[in-house]
Amino acid sequence: MLDAMKKAASPADGMGGASRFALHVGGVPGVAWLLLGLGLVFALAAPGFLSGANLHNVALQATVLLLLALPMTLVILTEGLDLSMGALLSLCTVVLAVVQIGTGSVVLGVASTLAVGLVFGLVNGGLVAGFGLPPFVITLGTLGAAQGLALMVGEGRTTMGVDAGIRWFWEGAPLGIATPLWMAAGVWAALHTLLHHTRFGARIFALGGNREALRFAGIPVERSLVLVYAIAGLCVGLASLLLAGRVNGGHPTAAIGMEFDAIAAVAVGGTAFERGKGSLGGTVLGVLAVGVMRNGLNLLSMPSSVQVAAVGVVVIAALWVDALRTRGLA
Amino acid sequence: MHLIPPTPALHAGGGCPASPGARQQALPPPLALRGITKRFPGVLALDGVSLALHAGEVHMLMGENGAGKSTLMKVLCGAYRADAGEILSDGVAVPVRHGADARALGVAVIFQEYSLVPHLSIAQNIYLGREPRHRFGLVDHARMHADARAVMARLGLQLDSHRPVHGLGVAQQQMVEIAKALSQHARVLVLDEPTAALSDRETEKLFEVIAGLKAEGVAMAYISHRMEEVFRLGDRVTVLRDGRHVATLAAGDATPDELVTLMVGRKVDMSYQRGARPVPGACLLDVRGMSAANGVQDVTLQVHAGEIVGLSGLVGSGRTEVVRAIFGADRVTAGEVRMQGSLLGASPTQARRHGLGLIPESRKQQGLALLRTVGDNLLLAGLGRLFPSWIYRPGRGHATARQLIARLRIATPGPRTAAQNLSGGNQQKIVIGKWLVAETRLFIFDEPTRGIDVGAKEEIFQLIDQLVHQGCAVLMISSELGEVVRVCDRAYVMKDRRLAGMLSQDQLSEANLLRLAMHHA
Repeated sequence: MLDAMKKAASPADGMGGASRFALHVGGVPGVAWLLLGLGLVFALAAPGFLSGANLHNVALQATVLLLLALPMTLVILTEGLDLSMGALLSLCTVVLAVVQIGTGSVVLGVASTLAVGLVFGLVNGGLVAGFGLPPFVITLGTLGAAQGLALMVGEGRTTMGVDAGIRWFWEGAPLGIATPLWMAAGVWAALHTLLHHTRFGARIFALGGNREALRFAGIPVERSLVLVYAIAGLCVGLASLLLAGRVNGGHPTAAIGMEFDAIAAVAVGGTAFERGKGSLGGTVLGVLAVGVMRNGLNLLSMPSSVQVAAVGVVVIAALWVDALRTRGLA
Repeated sequence: MHLIPPTPALHAGGGCPASPGARQQALPPPLALRGITKRFPGVLALDGVSLALHAGEVHMLMGENGAGKSTLMKVLCGAYRADAGEILSDGVAVPVRHGADARALGVAVIFQEYSLVPHLSIAQNIYLGREPRHRFGLVDHARMHADARAVMARLGLQLDSHRPVHGLGVAQQQMVEIAKALSQHARVLVLDEPTAALSDRETEKLFEVIAGLKAEGVAMAYISHRMEEVFRLGDRVTVLRDGRHVATLAAGDATPDELVTLMVGRKVDMSYQRGARPVPGACLLDVRGMSAANGVQDVTLQVHAGEIVGLSGLVGSGRTEVVRAIFGADRVTAGEVRMQGSLLGASPTQARRHGLGLIPESRKQQGLALLRTVGDNLLLAGLGRLFPSWIYRPGRGHATARQLIARLRIATPGPRTAAQNLSGGNQQKIVIGKWLVAETRLFIFDEPTRGIDVGAKEEIFQLIDQLVHQGCAVLMISSELGEVVRVCDRAYVMKDRRLAGMLSQDQLSEANLLRLAMHHA
């Protein structure tokens, strides 16, 4: 399999060749192989894994994670990290449920959760750019703040019974395709366009790849950073629509630790934590890999503790193989 | 002499500056600096420096490392803000606070340190922050690549504009850097040692482009350590020393000796006097039929104690690759590398244990932890030798660092200064010092004098001399042929990743080196 991967990765400038194609999955074939391998293992080990209903379920379940992992890719490309995503997502579902049920207005509910996401993103970005402190520390702090707020707003318990308009975000199926899939595709398209077809996109690569290059080009680094984290916050707000629709309400610890899965998916997807290397296509595959693994282990009746550990092991294994591959090519 | 043979033809083709120059004479210069002062903590980097760049002129800037050339250029392009003084554009004082301000004035810079983003394509790098856009605000990739190709063609750079720059060699990256500056259609172009990493052919191309820009009336400031460039390209020469303006001369009126004297402020004999060399001792490094994963083929060479051996060849001929393989940084696929009889090739750690020390070409990336202190950097490779019991004794570390600073005459306020605050020459001395602590027997230098001024060069040669007298050996890669002839006892020459031959002491001459390096087999 290693040989095959090497072959797939050559020529050495695979990344460059791939950048001409829309999907940007070239140069990160490791994750594709991983996905294929996992699929094979579960197809053999877990009966029912390959059924249409289950595969649809895998895709559906993956959408929430995707809405976190896609913007996480941008954040990591800037040599940043957003640890607050899981807690913020919990907070957003609580705010959404409380506001929507309290006012009876779906629009206000949606607006409030997007606003909360955006504000937290702006705060993250503002602190990272303004203080020049490591994003790791800043977002760890906002993680705590979001978690605390979620417990306060939700009074420590689940707020159930949102309007059908909110549940539509999970259950609806315009043109026969589930709403979450539409949203995931929409966010992917938007971020892909942003990354590869706007000036801002090149700046994101430069933020991690060579920040000095931006300064010398006379581009304010701070504004770009704030924008990246703001986009991440907004995407968390969007994800909360799906999650609240799915659980029919909000819970202060609904998405606890989901930033871990998101970071794992990005890492498995071939985005490096340095030098501004990575792609959204890789992250999509990474999310699917994490989703397939969780789903498969579920079918095998593995407890979630085992699932978390398994994701961790796969992340390390994937990064190790990736490192071997890069070294082999260098 | 460098690998670039001077072609006087270009001097004439370069366009006589008199015609555009005379026309511009009445006008104020497109850009001038007046009384620029810049302080860094503990250092007065620039002290009231004034400089005028006239249209259609190539203004050479010279000075030792730490003289303030690069700082001056960074003030000019808005990367640094001057503490005092003003910048005049067409005779009018203007504020230059950011890179954007400088760009608005038509200033473009070719940086010595690469300002490229590794995972963006060549075209994206050339147009970073200035990407052409469609009506809807999206980047017009087709136009961007077409424009990039046009600029690259002007430089004779035959690469796919879609390629990410991280896969390019140093010379190619430098050419992309030049393309980036060219694409800005600047009125004022700043070149900071643009040829340091370039091959013969690329340098010629650049000189042609410079001649063209000169004819178009572009004002150029050109930092160089190469005398030959100064006289070939320069209209005027300004010499800086210790952050002060020393003199501005017409290039035609100056002589190399005069410039060197101005730079160092005292008379130095430019030709380093090679003392008597010790008789070569036992064979330290023995490489036999080595091929490596990085493309090097069938290399056989020996280095004996007390010898300075050159490794010459054109840029890209595989010199650095040979050294990387010997040091265990790249995998050896055939043959063997022995150091004092022990087989090497497993890892740089193993090579270090057996007494090999590598002073790499890109000292900022591979040789130094820039943010750490001078002391930390000096002790890095020798921690095991200094503290065999694994217990770190700050007093001993500090004393060793101080000794080294004194022995190598490193110009630093103290061992606690961050390495990044030192000039290039002094950073190079730290890297050497690092290996001294580790009790290295064989020092491998990769372009030890790249980007280093005349004074520091001589010091480094003297240091190399000292090393071999103490029973060490030196293997030295250098692009400067004169340097190889003057310093080395004998030299191997690479061509196309193979050994083209070896020149013994009596055969060693610039002509012979060049002949071997360019020999068509």
